[in-house]
Amino acid sequence: MRRTLVTFLSLVLLWFLVSQANHELSPWRISVFAGGLFVVFAALRLERREGLIAVFAAGLLHDSVAPVWFGLHALLFTAAHAFIYHIRQRVHREETLVGVLAVLLANLGIFLGLSFAVARTLPTGIDPWPRLLMDLLVSQLALAAITPWFLSLQSHALAWAGDPQRPDHSRLT
Amino acid sequence: MVLGIVLAVWLILPIFIKRILRISFFELQAPVGLAASYVRDLQDYWSLRTRSNNDLIAAGRDLVRLNASYEVAIQQNESLRQQVARLESILRLPSLTRYRSEPARVARRDFNGWWQRMTVRKGRNYCITVGAPVIFSGGIVGKVAEVHAYTCTVDLISSPNLRIAATLDGDTRPLSYQGGDNPSFGPPLGIAEYVPTDASASPTSPKRLVTSGLGGVFPAGLIIGEITRLETSTDGLFKTGDVRLDPRLAEITEVTILVPLLPN
Repeated sequence: MRRTLVTFLSLVLLWFLVSQANHELSPWRISVFAGGLFVVFAALRLERREGLIAVFAAGLLHDSVAPVWFGLHALLFTAAHAFIYHIRQRVHREETLVGVLAVLLANLGIFLGLSFAVARTLPTGIDPWPRLLMDLLVSQLALAAITPWFLSLQSHALAWAGDPQRPDHSRLT
Repeated sequence: MVLGIVLAVWLILPIFIKRILRISFFELQAPVGLAASYVRDLQDYWSLRTRSNNDLIAAGRDLVRLNASYEVAIQQNESLRQQVARLESILRLPSLTRYRSEPARVARRDFNGWWQRMTVRKGRNYCITVGAPVIFSGGIVGKVAEVHAYTCTVDLISSPNLRIAATLDGDTRPLSYQGGDNPSFGPPLGIAEYVPTDASASPTSPKRLVTSGLGGVFPAGLIIGEITRLETSTDGLFKTGDVRLDPRLAEITEVTILVPLLPN
């Protein structure tokens, strides 16, 4: 429970930082989407149930401020979590590079999922894709830069909360 | 497997629980966003404190001039308002919707390829209502989409899902305005539809687009933007064109919400 709470609080911090960054970037008409970063630490380092609850709650946090079907972010985050959790046995998941690649992959999937879901609701004659592709490019570059810092922050947050990194039993099975 | 279970549970969860969850999560994050907004105000305050006395004196002098011109405008408005009331009573016309102006600071701007919204620092605590028009010195900002305890969310005029009944400045024929594409690094754009075929506009001689007052949400005469290009629509009955919106929309920090007053 403690690991879930600490991870969720770190995701609230990330949500706050991203929303402030988007506030400041708005005059340039670009925005950063960091959905992949909300998923990867929980999927790579935590046990399934702990990570899933934190990720699902972070998705609901996004849903509460977005004009989309309530639960869309949460389900997309859950899908990305399930996918990364499924493949984590086959990768060196403690390595930073693996974390960065997983974040970029998850972010791409969530971004496209969200884009297709929202694009269906737009009126005809609107072509959001040029803008979306620019946002995606900016987001991926930003995520490549900040992922090592944020994954490290989440690891340290767990340590500061008095929770030593437990050995992952699922890896042995 | 896990995803399927989560999806199934989520789909069968009663609506009222989802609604409670949505409100709870919104109110959980609201103080965080508001705190950042207040910190920005504090930063502005301390940066203004570094200004020299000469700057302040010059600003004060400019304000006095501005106030004098506003005083004259207020007197003219009052005289026009009385004239309108008199004509309404003589002609027995239904009175126009009256509004209460509620200035509010912008707490958060959220402009992306999916939606264009902003959160402002007034909500149910100031009796803001859903659908209330939001304006600034450059014209329309948008309309209130959601009202929360201490904040409300505004759908921007550049949002593709926002439609407004409009008219060309100086004309009475109604047309339709809709938010359009919002290209990166460029000004926000909208689309004007059902424009009469005798109208023309170009980047060098744009036509101003204002609200028509039809639909009952926006008062008539508020500036939407400028039509910079018009071409005949596929059916040949009307014209369709691009609307250039005020670029200040993207960096707006203060807005005015027009809260409709009840007739009684």
